[in-house]
Amino acid sequence: MKKRSAAQIYVYVLMLIIGFVWIYPLFLIFFNSLKPYRDIMIHFLDLPSVWDFSRYADVWVRLDFPKLFLNTIIYTISSVFLTVLLASLAAYKLSRTKTKYSTVVFILIIIPMMVPFQTYMISMIQVAKQLNMLGNRLGYIIVQTGLLMPLAVFLFHGFVKTVPRELDECAYIDGASRLRTFFAIILPLLTPIAITVAIIDALAVWNDILINLLVAGAKQELLNIQIALYTRFSAEQSDWGTALPGIVISIAPNILFFVFMQKYIVKGITAGAIKG
Amino acid sequence: MFLKRKPHARLVNGLDFAMFTFPALAVVLITTNIPFVMSIYYSLFDWNGLSRSMTFVGIDNFIRIFTIDAQFMKAIQFTIRFAAFYIVIVNILAVIIALPLSKSGLVSQIGRSCFYIPNIISLIAVSLVWRFLFGPGFDALADLTGLEIFKWSWLGTSTLAFYSVLILTVWQSVGFYMIIYVAGIIGIPQDIVEAAEIDGSRGIGHFFRITLPLIMPSVTVCIFTSLIGALKLFDVVLAFTKGGPGGSTATVAWNIYQEAFSKYRFGVATAKSVVFFAAVLVITVIQLTFFKKREVEI
Repeated sequence: MKKRSAAQIYVYVLMLIIGFVWIYPLFLIFFNSLKPYRDIMIHFLDLPSVWDFSRYADVWVRLDFPKLFLNTIIYTISSVFLTVLLASLAAYKLSRTKTKYSTVVFILIIIPMMVPFQTYMISMIQVAKQLNMLGNRLGYIIVQTGLLMPLAVFLFHGFVKTVPRELDECAYIDGASRLRTFFAIILPLLTPIAITVAIIDALAVWNDILINLLVAGAKQELLNIQIALYTRFSAEQSDWGTALPGIVISIAPNILFFVFMQKYIVKGITAGAIKG
Repeated sequence: MFLKRKPHARLVNGLDFAMFTFPALAVVLITTNIPFVMSIYYSLFDWNGLSRSMTFVGIDNFIRIFTIDAQFMKAIQFTIRFAAFYIVIVNILAVIIALPLSKSGLVSQIGRSCFYIPNIISLIAVSLVWRFLFGPGFDALADLTGLEIFKWSWLGTSTLAFYSVLILTVWQSVGFYMIIYVAGIIGIPQDIVEAAEIDGSRGIGHFFRITLPLIMPSVTVCIFTSLIGALKLFDVVLAFTKGGPGGSTATVAWNIYQEAFSKYRFGVATAKSVVFFAAVLVITVIQLTFFKKREVEI
């Protein structure tokens, strides 16, 4: 190990201070969410004199957070599960088959990665309306799955190549069906990329704004956490006394997720970004 | 292949292929591919999205958006200006942060987390955080410090609103680019770095002659991603400014959204979305060919 020079230590300390300042806005929101609202103007930068969580309880009930959490959790788990399942099945087969059909199917599935969402957004809502997918949970989940699919298939497709072909044939000759071979032998070997895909997609669905607004936005009981906050506090003059605890409650799961999954998140980011 | 000798092998293989790939293909077709083709079709009609009557107008929608639609032109200008500022600032900042934080160890890890956390928070929460800071927060700071900068109306004037959107977007996303640059810097072969150091390579010169050329793949990825992100900027506008004040922060994507879901002019909106697609495609192809040439092989 090289010894750290004094200059390097200065740089480290400096980076820590800058990093702390960088996320200080979040601390400011948290501290001020605990103060009575009139205190914010006078003691904006101070720590709260009393740690008063009573407004949290109030906001929790008033915005119906239990319902919002339930919705968002259902959306996230279902979309991620469906995406990982369908994408791994398709990517595996597409990677193993070399016909002109498989090439066409592969291109059809991954081409949307090149197209901005706004280009097909308007017509997608028309299609969703025809298929009765607007204003219900299942519709929202299917739309999410469709939008997440291209990147998921692309990432799985690249990874399947690392799984030896001989494994498929051995299991098949031993009498396992094609599907059984996939679920018993292949899928467990795809776990690393499945985790990456699941993390990218879980964050996308949990933080989704636009799809929830367009597909479920008309119905109060279908909103996710983000859109509930948006419809409640996007007016010009916000009720910050209520909004601040609401913001903190909405951010808390993301921070917890980050703390526990940090390693995988960072891996996922690099995998997702280097796709191009 | 042992299956070929069996009768009906083609059929069995075909069914098998369909069983594995059709579900994935089906959801992509209904959410993306079919709507994409429909958008091109709709762009030739005058249609409000609701009524049964659609009038074929040919390329009138396209002529219209480039001649009499001042709002769209304004949105294009904003988007290009934003993209130029955003790409430069976010990438330079990300590299500056990534350089000291690419060492292993706890300090680097904590530092990276600080910059990365805003990136995993929903843009709704991020927008509310900054609306609070620019609003009541700056009012309080103005009272506390008396500084003029806190008295400015950061969200109320069109000049400052541009910078507010820029500040929020950079704050939220710089950690993402930092992670990619860190991965790039860690990937530089140690023997090259040591050889350069023995030859007396230090500081700024070392960065421009050794580090930067060797992280060009990361630069390509980051410039590409930040370019696409800036051109498609939408969520921030929706949650943070709603295009205001006076349409000064409306992006192209926001303009298309408004055209469709506030003004109900689906024909014009889809025409804009087709133009948007073509523009994004051309710009990214040019950018990718330009940058791919600058990567060095080791």
